[in-house]
Amino acid sequence: MELSESVQKGFQMLADPGSFDSNAFTLLLRAAFQSLLDAQADEAVLDHPDLKHIDPVVLKYCHAAAATYILEAGKHRADKSTLSAYLEDCKFDRERTELFCTEYQNNKNSLETLLGSIGRSLPHITDVSWRLEYQIKTNQLHKMYRPAYLVTLNVQNTDSQSYPEISFSCSMEQLQDLVGKLKDASKSLERATQL
Amino acid sequence: MLLELSEEHKEHLAFLPQVDSAGQGARGRRSVGWGGGPKAEPGTQQPLNFIAVVAEFGRIAVEFLRRGANPKIYEGAARKLNVSSDTVQHGVEGLTYLLTESSKLMISELDFQDSVFVLGFSEELNKLLLQLYLDNRKEIRTILSGLAPSLPSYHNLEWRLDVQLASRSLRQQIKPAVTIKLHLNQNGDHDTKVLQTDPATLLHLVQQLEQALEEMKTNHCRRVVRNIK
Repeated sequence: MELSESVQKGFQMLADPGSFDSNAFTLLLRAAFQSLLDAQADEAVLDHPDLKHIDPVVLKYCHAAAATYILEAGKHRADKSTLSAYLEDCKFDRERTELFCTEYQNNKNSLETLLGSIGRSLPHITDVSWRLEYQIKTNQLHKMYRPAYLVTLNVQNTDSQSYPEISFSCSMEQLQDLVGKLKDASKSLERATQL
Repeated sequence: MLLELSEEHKEHLAFLPQVDSAGQGARGRRSVGWGGGPKAEPGTQQPLNFIAVVAEFGRIAVEFLRRGANPKIYEGAARKLNVSSDTVQHGVEGLTYLLTESSKLMISELDFQDSVFVLGFSEELNKLLLQLYLDNRKEIRTILSGLAPSLPSYHNLEWRLDVQLASRSLRQQIKPAVTIKLHLNQNGDHDTKVLQTDPATLLHLVQQLEQALEEMKTNHCRRVVRNIK
């Protein structure tokens, strides 16, 4: 993990009981996790009365350092020993190291889910709807009598947050072909999971 | 159900029996049909000429439906039959209209014969027209079905299993996904869409679409199909 000097300096400040007493430390730590993971996080997450006595610049600096470190650790799936090693390097005492590791462990899953969801991917199919119709006549052709399906795939684009739909028509044979191919795919998937 | 033929339509088709007499005038010339043909015997030339000419008109009419008008053929025919190019064109269009309307409505043989009867053609010509209708009906209906409003239609599906192992924001992942390439056709244009889905959604898709297929076999659908004819 590559971390900049400012992260280290921020942590060193956090390690100092003179700048951050136990309570303030815990609050700042929780605030860092909350602002990353809580979708509705308040911008005033650092506005707790128990943090008022600390210089706001210092608060922000340490908050940023903590958040950066948490994200890097999550990205590289750091384990407890890696975390402890780094924190001890930043002069954290045992109690604070334990606290950090516990908080990290509690939030690990949400953090990994969040990081995993960032990124571009192909449009993602979320649902399908279908309609069966029986065609009897068009203005060009009477007495048709043919069943047909109209299939709509609901698709989600990760980056643009748009929800286009893909609709197409098909005959019964074509739908059977489509379903057959999708079943092949799911059988392959099942076999792959058993390897 | 009888076909309704307008006055203009009847006029255009009235050209056809005149091919008989026009054919007489052209007897001196060699060709039967356009593009040459077997050399006809003098004695049997007249009836052979007539049937062949009307059959040729029928062939042109069907080609017209498949590929559109070809003015050169009209001019060639007009010269050989000693009539104006317009008359030939109207004759072909009239014949085409007769064939498409009959095919569209899928009228029975009897109805066709009764509809054509009002034109006052000879027995032989009526039989020829009926045969032309029956021979080409299926193909004409296929051509007409392509004219209906349509959505993109399914052509093919390709799939691939992928597993995402890492991304810029998270290492050491195992994230299975199915990548799908859907081929669609619309009015002759090929379109492909590349999409992705996860295993759970894939199973859901299969289940939903299988239900869709099952619907056709239910009593309700069977009854509808049986009774609407």
